[in-house]
Amino acid sequence: MTPARRSDGATDLRVQLGPLRLKNPVVAASGTFGYGAEFRPYLDLNDLGGFVTKGLSLLPRRGNAPPRTCETASGMLNAIGLANVGVEAFLAEKLPALRGCGTAVIANVFGETQDEYVAVARRLNGAPGLDAIELNLSCPNTEKGGLAFGVSPPVIREVVGAVRRAAPDLPLIVKLTPNITDVAVAATAAKEGGADILSLVNTFLGMAIDLKTRRPVLDNVVGGLSGPAIKPLALYMVQRVRSAVDLPIMGMGGIANCRDALEFIVAGSAAVQVGTLNFVDPGATTRLVREIDAWCRGEGVRAVRDLTGTLRLPAGTTPGPAAV
Amino acid sequence: MPSDSPAPVVRHEALNRDHFLLTLESARIAREARAGQFVMIQTRAGSDPLLRRPMSIYRVLPGRRGLIQILYKVVGTGTRYLSQQPRGALLGTLGPLGNGFRLPEPGTRPVLVAGGIGIAIFPFLAEALRKGRGPSPVLLYGGRSKRDLVALDFFRSRRIPVRLATEDGSTGTRGFVTRLLETLLAARKAADHLELFVCGPTPMLKAVGAVATGAGVACQLALESQMPCGIGVCLGCVVPCPGDARGPLFRRVCTEGPIFRASEVAL
Repeated sequence: MTPARRSDGATDLRVQLGPLRLKNPVVAASGTFGYGAEFRPYLDLNDLGGFVTKGLSLLPRRGNAPPRTCETASGMLNAIGLANVGVEAFLAEKLPALRGCGTAVIANVFGETQDEYVAVARRLNGAPGLDAIELNLSCPNTEKGGLAFGVSPPVIREVVGAVRRAAPDLPLIVKLTPNITDVAVAATAAKEGGADILSLVNTFLGMAIDLKTRRPVLDNVVGGLSGPAIKPLALYMVQRVRSAVDLPIMGMGGIANCRDALEFIVAGSAAVQVGTLNFVDPGATTRLVREIDAWCRGEGVRAVRDLTGTLRLPAGTTPGPAAV
Repeated sequence: MPSDSPAPVVRHEALNRDHFLLTLESARIAREARAGQFVMIQTRAGSDPLLRRPMSIYRVLPGRRGLIQILYKVVGTGTRYLSQQPRGALLGTLGPLGNGFRLPEPGTRPVLVAGGIGIAIFPFLAEALRKGRGPSPVLLYGGRSKRDLVALDFFRSRRIPVRLATEDGSTGTRGFVTRLLETLLAARKAADHLELFVCGPTPMLKAVGAVATGAGVACQLALESQMPCGIGVCLGCVVPCPGDARGPLFRRVCTEGPIFRASEVAL
């Protein structure tokens, strides 16, 4: 694709992901943006494509004992333990505060059982001011020995299908874990379950060790790695899913600047999510929107949606994990 | 309301091999900051180190220019990069953050208890106490060695009594700062109302908090924590607090703190 260069007028930044329309492709990721209002001192929510809330469970959760985070090379580990206010407090206190914020509000949902996912989704269905839900499939399934929901295709199909039926009015985003042999298998299962959109990737499991004490740094021992350190891994997975499954993608993983965001779009994302960067620079998301606009103007790209999936693969490249 | 902007380095002095005093220009932070609050500082451009570092505000300098000072010790890569930032460099600076100290009731004598680089929070408080015109504070200051005790001139030039303790005995009383505290508490009269303001490493906060509770003395602790965001959204910096049958509660050091009453936390 080589669009004619043009310098007049603003870029059309609108993107459509199945049933979900966003004013631009930059979405703040779950767990890094609180419940939205926390960022009002640093940006205008109205300038954002959307944001995803902290993961919501049926009941409030206190989370893990500290230390919960650890900085690593160009990244960080976290084991917050899914602390959140619970779906009722979200509906009563957090969501009303966002009325008229002018951006898509996406509720992230998790549960320790399929029934909990369903109960939270049912409670959110039809909530005024809510634009979509995103299922976090990285949560341990207490009924299946603590294995994450997102690693087993039959479990993914079942939980996505059950949530689909419980919240028929909301666009359904399924967030995939990268901690699996082939992410395309999970993506296929999510589609079969009824997902409208895929978001990927969640954090990579990792750990850090304090050599002096010979103990893990995190009280939880294992945590999720995020930040620029994971960007190449995530970019590959977006490309892999794009080549295997026909669903719109929100790509994420270590986006630190406009070029990173555009690489995810070229790899196959219709929109991107920005996570850890929000901790480092709370005004980053809306700045990315302006930078994407400026880049598109400079390159003569009329609409950012025209860039999605424009990756030029070498002739004869076969989809699937290639030998390296 | 906190704000985030690049703040120019106006001065950057080495006090000794690993302690530095950084002066930044930030009119908005200088105008809004209260004693005990902190800022998140970007130590260098790029993604390594990735996260900003939380730093107590050492002083807000008088004058219209809007200068704030940060006293810090080089303890790892982030602070080492920070120490290399020259005059004129722009450092992303987010603040003022956190709740700040509650100033003592009239008639209460403040006792400042510092451990190591915990001293960095107290000049701002000392100046706020002076403006409040209450009883003058006393400073109890402990460190590993004489070299770890910095900023003494600030307190001495303002006639604030300073008592020192070092673990190696290189100056002051040999031992921990709690020895100074126990001596002070033993010497107080029944009518004396004291309040402790404490900043230092967590084991020291715990020990001083226990002494204060045992003596029935009011005590505010300034906590430090691994703090990725500073604005209450990552939930990484939590401290365990007295809870219920289900276990402890966790509160965010960045937004519910960094100042807590000793009774509010279970260190």
